[in-house]
Amino acid sequence: MALESLHGVERYQHKWNEVQEEAALPEIGNFTNQYQLMMPPLPKAECQVGEYLVDETGRKMKLNYAHGTTTLGFKFKGGAVLAVDSRATSGQYIGSGNVRKIIEISPYLLGTMAGGAADCTYWNRVLAKQCRIYELRNRERISVAAASKLLANMVYQYKGYGLSMGVMVAGWDKKGAGLYYVDSDGNRMPGNVFSVGSGSLYAYGVLDSGYRWDMTDEEAYELGRRAIYHATHRDAYSGGIVRVYHIKEGGWVRISEQDSKDLHYAYAEGKTTTQ
Amino acid sequence: MKGKNCVAIACDLRFGVQAQTISTDFKRVFELGPHLYIGLPGLATDTQTVLQRLQFRIKMYEMREGRRLKPHTLMAMMQNLLYERRFGPYFVEPVIAGLDPNTKEPYICALDLIGCACEPADFVVSGTCSESLYGMCETTWQEDMEPEDLFECISQSLVNAFDRDALSGWGAVVHIIEQDKVTTRTLKCRQD
Repeated sequence: MALESLHGVERYQHKWNEVQEEAALPEIGNFTNQYQLMMPPLPKAECQVGEYLVDETGRKMKLNYAHGTTTLGFKFKGGAVLAVDSRATSGQYIGSGNVRKIIEISPYLLGTMAGGAADCTYWNRVLAKQCRIYELRNRERISVAAASKLLANMVYQYKGYGLSMGVMVAGWDKKGAGLYYVDSDGNRMPGNVFSVGSGSLYAYGVLDSGYRWDMTDEEAYELGRRAIYHATHRDAYSGGIVRVYHIKEGGWVRISEQDSKDLHYAYAEGKTTTQ
Repeated sequence: MKGKNCVAIACDLRFGVQAQTISTDFKRVFELGPHLYIGLPGLATDTQTVLQRLQFRIKMYEMREGRRLKPHTLMAMMQNLLYERRFGPYFVEPVIAGLDPNTKEPYICALDLIGCACEPADFVVSGTCSESLYGMCETTWQEDMEPEDLFECISQSLVNAFDRDALSGWGAVVHIIEQDKVTTRTLKCRQD
């Protein structure tokens, strides 16, 4: 049209074509379709990234893909509480002490990260996109059961390829608080109390002995915090900052983020910590 | 680490089995004489056994010779002790720090698990996070540091190095060995 050519709008049409062509390239296939990941020209059993890495002496490096972390979640009368540590290790090297292991999928849905950090963040972000699309199409919030089912189905397609994820999906929907455990083996199960990761055994000890359905909110936060703190103390692969989130009717709320060093010395003195 | 007329030696306090931490007060630096310390990082059972065998040999030496052991002689003794087990070694990589009993000269040395010793002029490291320790020591060490500066230097090097290692930490003990006294301090560290 004349007005378009006058204002040089055609340029944008060319740009849009370029973008379309670029998106069709297989190398960035997952830009438009997040389920389409590139596959190496190898049989399925050899697609394990952890198997290829060697350290400087040529020894096979054991990437601690076996969920070197501690995360926990539990439901109680006031909603659901999620608590996580913040250490990321590759083998025995501490890559970071400040990782955000609770992923904010939407204002009322949270996902935790255990296992491969890249796997968890990527698939949780794809889940966030799918939840938003559901919301736009159906004009109502997605249920926690449906969201966790979406995630479980996504990773089931890659079962056997070496994805490593042990995720808890927690949120608030019409049935109240919801908590599901989803992992890369294809497990998906609802429950009241979960702990995932190498430090989960220590966390379960504290969690199971202190858990009651009718706790107050403060008691629940302190229980989650204590459980993670004890896991960071005993487990070599957990540590850093203890983060606590609460899921209630209005959505999730970040409760506290405290360094486990400060928690240790505070508990040692016999005082309970406050925010 | 070597300083000006003083040496320092430090260790962490964790005792664990792979991921599980069993105790947070397992010292692995031991006093063998008034100004002679040895650190024995590695397999905990070998730490204890090597220490006991070494103490036996040192007592026999002092009884026969009638004089205190020199750090250089301790190194030679360790070399023999470790090489004796060449084909089934003790899994410790010792670190020696001390002052010569007569000249008060600072001395440090490190050995590998079968007895090869090296006596550098600056610092020695050993353990699971030795690469991190090398990095930290290399940047912070300076020649001829006074005891207080040496304490700061060795403490910061150790703590920052093992804060990057999942299998080390949970507390630290630092010994500063000067001509007239030995100061031992326990550091307050991350317990995760």
